[in-house]
Parts: sequence; C-alpha cells; structure tokens
Amino acid sequence: MRSWFVNPWGRPRWLLLVTVLYILWSIVPVAIAIMFAFNNGRSRTTWQGFSTRWFTGATGSVLHDPALQGALKHTLFLAVICVAIATPLGVALALGLQRWRGPGAGTVNTVMLLPLVTPEIVMGVALLLLFLKVFPGIGVGTPAQAIGQVTFTVSYVVVIVRGRLVSVGREYEEAAADLGAPPHDQLVRVLLPLLAPAIIAAAAVVFALSIDDFVVTQYLSGDASTVTVPMLLYSTARAAPTPALNAIATVALGITLLTLAFAYLVYRRFAGGREAAVAAALEV
Amino acid sequence: MPGEIRLEELTKRFLDVVAVDGIDIDMPAGEFFTMLGPSGCGKTTTLRMIAGFERPTSGRIMLDGTDVAEVPPHKRNVNTVFQSYALFPHLDVAGNVAFGLKYQRCTKEERRQRVAEALDLVRLSGFEQRKSSQLSGGQQQRVALARALVLRPRVLLLDEPLGALDARLRKGLQVELKALQAELGITFVFVTHDQEEALTMSDRVAVMNGGRVEQAGSPREVYEEPQTEFVADFLGVSNLLSGQAVATEPGACALKIGDRVLRAARGDTSAAGDAKAMIRPERIAVEPHGVDGENRIPGLVERAVFLGNSFELHVRILGGDVLKAMVPNDGSPAMVEEGAAVTLYLPADGLRVLAPSAAANVPAAAEDVPAAAS
Repeated sequence: MRSWFVNPWGRPRWLLLVTVLYILWSIVPVAIAIMFAFNNGRSRTTWQGFSTRWFTGATGSVLHDPALQGALKHTLFLAVICVAIATPLGVALALGLQRWRGPGAGTVNTVMLLPLVTPEIVMGVALLLLFLKVFPGIGVGTPAQAIGQVTFTVSYVVVIVRGRLVSVGREYEEAAADLGAPPHDQLVRVLLPLLAPAIIAAAAVVFALSIDDFVVTQYLSGDASTVTVPMLLYSTARAAPTPALNAIATVALGITLLTLAFAYLVYRRFAGGREAAVAAALEV
Repeated sequence: MPGEIRLEELTKRFLDVVAVDGIDIDMPAGEFFTMLGPSGCGKTTTLRMIAGFERPTSGRIMLDGTDVAEVPPHKRNVNTVFQSYALFPHLDVAGNVAFGLKYQRCTKEERRQRVAEALDLVRLSGFEQRKSSQLSGGQQQRVALARALVLRPRVLLLDEPLGALDARLRKGLQVELKALQAELGITFVFVTHDQEEALTMSDRVAVMNGGRVEQAGSPREVYEEPQTEFVADFLGVSNLLSGQAVATEPGACALKIGDRVLRAARGDTSAAGDAKAMIRPERIAVEPHGVDGENRIPGLVERAVFLGNSFELHVRILGGDVLKAMVPNDGSPAMVEEGAAVTLYLPADGLRVLAPSAAANVPAAAEDVPAAAS
C-alpha cells in the first residue's frame, strides 16, 4: 500500500486522490439538483421515480408556467442584448488599448481590469445609485440591467481579444499595408478574420456570464417582467419550491455549458495550439 | 530603369537608442543589394523604414528621385517578403497572392491571370487552394515572394527570408532568388546576418554595425579589401596581427610583429606607429619547419580542426598570437598534426594594413540595441 502511494517513479497518487475527491465534492450537489429536476413528484428531496413533467408537463412546468417562461425569455433576451453590445465594444477597446502606447495607457489598462476584481455587490449598488440619482431617466428595469451587465462583461471581452491580439502581432497588418491595403482594409480583411475565434469565444463567455448573473441584474431589476432565472431561483427557493425550479436551473446550466463548450471548440479549432492557455482559461 | 533607392542621412531613434545613425546608401536600380550585419546593427530598421513601417527620425528615402519618407506603407511602390512570411492564415495560396491586386486597377480576368503567372514564376502552380499551414517552409517562402512580386514593385525588400529554412533548402533558394532577380530586373534589397549568403547572392553589399555603414561595395571588394577591423572580422574568418609600422616604401610597408618584420602590400601601407594587419586563413601557406625567407614566421600547430575538404590549423607563432590557416585535405598529413612545428608564409599581397578605426568597431558594441532594431 505504501509503495502504491509513495512511489517516486509512479504517478503522484496523493494528488490524484485529492483531485478526484474535490471533483466529486463539487459535482455531486449539482448532479443531485439535476437529478431532482426529473423527479416524478413535488419533492425536491425524496426520489419518486423518473419523469420529465417539470420540463414539459401540463401544469407548473418550465414549458407551461408563465413565471418560469417569462424568466427564461427575459434571461435570454438580456443575454442577447448584452452580447450584441459588449462584444463589439470590447473588441474596439482591445484594439485601442493594444495600439495606444502614450502616457496613461497603463492606467487605462488597469481600469479596464477593475470590473474583473470589483465585488459584484459593490458594482450593483453603485450602478443602482447611478441609475436612480444621476440618470433618473433610465431608472431601473431592462435597459438598466442590460447596461449593468455590459459594464462588467466588456472587461472579459477585452482580456480575451487582447490575448489573441498579442499572439497575432502586428506583422499581418504590416503585410496587408505593404500589399497596398489602407488602414480600414487592414482591419476588415486581415485583423478581424484573425481575431474571429477570440471574438466568438468572448461573445460566448459574455452570453454565459449574462445568463448566470444575479447580483447586478437583481439590483437593477424593475417590475415582475424583469425577473431572470437566477432571480427566480433565489426568490422562490424559500417560498414554495417544486422540482420545476431544478428543471429551470438545469435548462440554464445546460445553455451555459453548451455556450462555453461551443466557445472552447471554436477557439481550439481556429486559434491552433498557441493560445492553449487562453483556451484553458475559458474552460473554467 | 526605375527602382533606384538613395538613403540620405537616414536616422531612426527609439527613445534614447539610436538604431540607425545617419546612413547614406545608394542602391542602384536593378541590383541585388544586401545589408549585412550582426543583430542590432540597424539593417532591419533600415529596411522597415524603406517599406514604410517605421518613420525616420530624420533623413530622406529617395525612391527614383522622390522622397517617400512620409508616404504611408500602403502607398509605396515597394513590397516586402517578411522573415516569417506573414502569409494570411485565413486565406488560401491564391487568396494570399491576389490580396494586393485589389488595390491595382485590373479586371477579374487579369487578376486571375496575374496570380497564375506569379505562382508559375515561383513554381507553385497547382497549389492555389492550399492553406499556408499545409505548405512547407520553402513553399511558404515562395508564396510570400509571389504575393509581393505579383504587384510588380519597383523594389522588393527581403528581411532575412531564408533565416527560418534548413541549410540545404537555403542553398537552393539562394540560387533561385538570385536567378529570379536577374530575370525580373527588379531592385532587391536583402537583409541578412549570414555573410556567405551576402557574398554569394549580392551585386553590392553594405556591411553595417552599430547603426552605421562600415563599408559598401561589391562582395569581392568588401571581402578582399576590408577597410575596418569589423568588416574584416565579420566577413569570413580573418587573422589580425598587431604590430608597429616601422618603414614604408611605395606600395608596401614593413610591419614589426614580435621580433619579425613582415612586408605588407595591401591596405593602408602609409601607416606609421601602432598598426593592425589582417590576412585571410586561405592566404596563409603552411610550409615545413625550417623554410626561411621573406614574410615567414615559425610556429607550432595547437589545434587542427578537420573540416572535411580541408583542415583549419591554429598555429601559435613566435610572439604569442594564434593564426588560423587553411590546409587542403590533399594527403600531406605531417603538418596537420597537433604539436607539429611549421613555418607560416604570409605573402605580402595577402597582408592588409587596416586603417585605424575611429571608434572601437567590435561586434559587441551593438549588443545594447533592442532586438526590435536588429
């Protein structure tokens, strides 16, 4: 037994053991939650057999309950808006920051990364005050939620696209210029196609972040029509929970995982091995 | 014939580093011109200024009599073959070659034909649909050539285009490039740190060091008549001897090295006082021990390096210096043994007195220039 664990030539089995235990620990609760989404009964703790009634059943299911339906639609709507705004904005910022070598470039760089480390609750409160006091015209509701999500997701786009920009380098743009392409064509015919995998990956990450976001979206929400899936999960978890909550959580999780898997595959397929580090970061 | 480049007092400063220090170079139209030097000597920066990627700090870049220093790269009639080729990975070979034709007036049919011609020129017909990742290094290099040549530039700039290839392929492409240049009659401006490449391909070579041109001339001139210690040392192997010029006569001077006096008939023969002389290893004749006569120095073979077709002997001469001499591998084994006593004959017309350099032009002086300026 000792030699099985402490064998300098063999695999690091203690590390393996710890890793396996951790993976089990982190997956089991999620797996149980998903399992009860398929429970054939109203309990979220006692297994009563398999069914898909909480997904497609006639009453109280994700497909037919208006509250769940509304939350899911609003979540996806916000995510699409957020991707549509944050992605181009982030790409433009990444390009600008990469090319900007003047004084202040370092500061702006740091500021761009701040949303990644700012506690979300701080950002949520700050944005709420902003929309209520400084821009009362916007107020709370869907526009505020969209702006709030764009505010913090744009940083992720900048980080991902800049990573690719660094590895692409300036050479292709120079080659394009050398062949006669004016600056606009250097961007459209060469740089954007080369950045495409990073842009798609960034868009997918923004989509996933938007779907999962609770704090900022909650703070900036208005009436019942602005409730998202995470908000619904939070508010009804203590009221009258049915496995329908597990079902909608499962749907949200599925969408997130599919999006990230898609982003990862696109990135791997087009970016080649060089950006393996960024790709690995995407897996998280 | 168009394609003449004249650089006038061209200078490039990166913050406080002077990468190119007021150089003047004439590149005649239709010639194969090479800028040769160690990394950091300013050759690539000079090329990038000609291409338009770097803006000169001062000076002029005259292209057929017009100063183009302030013309952006996409409006200059010069094209570049990059060191790493920079083929667009999202386009196939035909797409890469056709890229620049969009900015030249030509019909779709004409465009197709010119792409076919260019690919034919570099012998890559049939590769139109390949992606650059599906090509070998040599093929990528030829696509990069075709992509530039299809635009019929007046000047083609090549930034160490053979650097990434293995030795055998490189030799082949050297010959091919030179033939291509002769066929097209376009001015080629070639940047390399490989002295052999420079000597075999060029019509004219400018040897650069520390942002300045040390010497420019035909390959034979710079090899056989190096004006400075740096040029002598950088182009091939050379032996340097320090001594005193003790007497001059018309066309030659007497150099006292150790306790021997050698006659030197090349270079700055009017020198006086401390002087340096150089001689190529292949000019030194190795004779059996005991032979006496003019310009002969006895020595001991310290090392005999086997090079296949020849031996490179390191001979320590009286007085302490080590000279390198080449001995053909023709079956005379006695003299190529380590420890053998030999006599070196340094013919007067192979011994070249170097003009004293104003600055210490040793390669190490260029080391503090950043890699971007190489």
